Amino acid sequence: MRALDVARLVVAFGLAVPLAIPSAHAAEPPRDIKGLYLMTDYPAVTIRPGTTSNISLRLQNYDLGPQRYKLSVEGVPSGWTATLLGGGQPVAAAMPAPDSSVPLQLRLDVPANASLAEQTVTVKAEGQGSEATLPIVVALAKELPAKLTVTSKLPELRGSPKSNFEYTLTIKNDSGRSLIASFAAAAPQNFETSFTEAYGTQELSSIPIDAGQSKDIKLKVRPPSAIDAGHFPVKVTVNAEDASAQTEVALDVAGQPQLQLSGRDGLLSARAVAAEQSAIPVVVTNSGTAPADNIELAATAPSGWKVTFQPAKIERLVPGKDTEVQALVTPSDKSLAGDYQLAMRATSRGETASSQFRVTVSTSTVWGMAGAGVIGVALLLMLGAVARFGRR
Amino acid sequence: MRREGSAFQGVGAVFVKELSDNISSVRMLMLELLIVLTAMAALYEAITALRQNTAEDPFLLLRLFTVSQAPLPSFVAILGFLIPLMAIGLGFDLINSEHNRRTLSRILAQPIYRDALLLGKYLAGLATITISLTALWLLVIGLGLIFLGVPPGGEEIARSLAFLVIAVFYAGVWLSLAMLLSIVFRSPATAALVALGIWLFLTVLWPMLAPAIAQAIVPPDPRFAALGLDTPGTAIWTQLLQRFSPNDLFGEAMLAVLSPTTRTLGPVFLDQIRGAVMGAPLPFGQSVMIAWPQTVGLIACTIVLFVAGYVLFQRQEVRA
Repeated sequence: MRALDVARLVVAFGLAVPLAIPSAHAAEPPRDIKGLYLMTDYPAVTIRPGTTSNISLRLQNYDLGPQRYKLSVEGVPSGWTATLLGGGQPVAAAMPAPDSSVPLQLRLDVPANASLAEQTVTVKAEGQGSEATLPIVVALAKELPAKLTVTSKLPELRGSPKSNFEYTLTIKNDSGRSLIASFAAAAPQNFETSFTEAYGTQELSSIPIDAGQSKDIKLKVRPPSAIDAGHFPVKVTVNAEDASAQTEVALDVAGQPQLQLSGRDGLLSARAVAAEQSAIPVVVTNSGTAPADNIELAATAPSGWKVTFQPAKIERLVPGKDTEVQALVTPSDKSLAGDYQLAMRATSRGETASSQFRVTVSTSTVWGMAGAGVIGVALLLMLGAVARFGRR
Repeated sequence: MRREGSAFQGVGAVFVKELSDNISSVRMLMLELLIVLTAMAALYEAITALRQNTAEDPFLLLRLFTVSQAPLPSFVAILGFLIPLMAIGLGFDLINSEHNRRTLSRILAQPIYRDALLLGKYLAGLATITISLTALWLLVIGLGLIFLGVPPGGEEIARSLAFLVIAVFYAGVWLSLAMLLSIVFRSPATAALVALGIWLFLTVLWPMLAPAIAQAIVPPDPRFAALGLDTPGTAIWTQLLQRFSPNDLFGEAMLAVLSPTTRTLGPVFLDQIRGAVMGAPLPFGQSVMIAWPQTVGLIACTIVLFVAGYVLFQRQEVRA
């Protein structure tokens, strides 16, 4: 925990230092100021015991010749460690050029058991003839507020079990530090949830947020397709270090019919005789969550085939029920013997189900009878010849 | 003089005597050796090809009949070529040899009618061929069991039995023809030559002549030729003419019975294939329905030729 805090603070100050340097160079020194100054942006800070903090300082030289200044820290309470850093390493002296500054950092290691009383640490720069001091007031606080808020712009969405529910969530980091916010969603069982970037597809589980900034993420919820209509809340929790925030979004799922088409007992094959009408039983099932109205049945058949349905239309099919329809199939009289594909469809206002049936066509046996007749005629011919020409 | 009593009196005696003569004759031995050796060669090639190429096939046994491996044609094609030879070899001197040996009047002096003599001789010839074909059929199944190791299914057996029946009637056509010629011609050599001439004409020349005649009847349409297709009219006529040859009828019937995926034997229009599931085998009954017209042709041809021979024989002078 401690190491993590140190790392975060270093990150924070690493960001702060490059900001400080350009302002120091850009500032035109006013003409009427002269001398040596030790400066910091915030001379009174609050630190958590048991952590290491960096306070950025700068030694400003206005209109003085270059000189060596010895640096020291006074008033450090016992148990604390105070180190002056310049350019990333401990330094004991600094030498600012005229009208420019040298950035410095004061690193304070505060022990965890330090008393909570306010302390004053004085940083001193001494040269020949001039010196500068900077008292820094260090207050200690057990808890530093790391505040997070999460809000949803459209917390309640409505749709069918097949639609995607997408919520845009805004996470705001109101604490003084950059945080890595991780999030989780507690949805009803079998709901699929995923977090993505606001304009991306990559799934996330956490996101870094700078101090005072906010970020948008997207929560996608996919309900199971076989869900009943209803109102389903999803609780979103955002966690960052010791702060957490919660919000609730909701899915308003409207029911939807879902059709299925198959033969009786799931059989998808049938027999038919060329040029003769045969009935194929077709079962239409509504496995959805809302009744299906006006189910129309249609078929895509090989050319020359006639397919009609009896009845041609199902008025209403409540969820979980099925109904049987007879498909009257008449293969073309030119159909070859063997298997043909026959596609049947049931359509009810945007919901469609289709199945491929395999119809084994037999040819008519009329010609087979005719062939037997030919043989019979030949046999009669033989009998006639035997009767007519039979002799001793 | 009118006959008294059954026409079949004495058929049994003639049948048994002729059958034993046929089976023990050297001629029959030679014919059988010819057929068995050639068919075995074709079968061996088919087995080699099937063993090397082990694709999953629900009708592996039937493939033994139809697979051809260059330079040998398939088993069925060889049978289609050689069955007529066997039938002609058995039938060309059925009657005229009796005439020449002057034994006909002696036989007819027994209580045997002419009907019975002719029918008995014919049935004995057919039975001889049936016995050899059955032996060949059993040989195929046995070799298939030994070398492929796959027991044949019920439908395969049914289909190969249909093959056996059709092959017997195919032999019957040629036996009827040979017997007719042996009645017409007094010299066995003439009868044999005429029979072989008809056989060669129908087997070798007719398949070449039929397209030429069809093209004379319906000239090919250059629009179809430009698309690389046969003109439908010409194709239909070609097939119609080719079916005058028993050889073609046998080949077509075998195609329908032994290749279960055959759905039709005639030319097919595109709208007939639309929506059809290709490569699905037909039920046995439907395959038989497809082969039925060809089979009817063979059976009817057998009977008609026999009746022609019968009528001629009944009207013939027997006393030499």
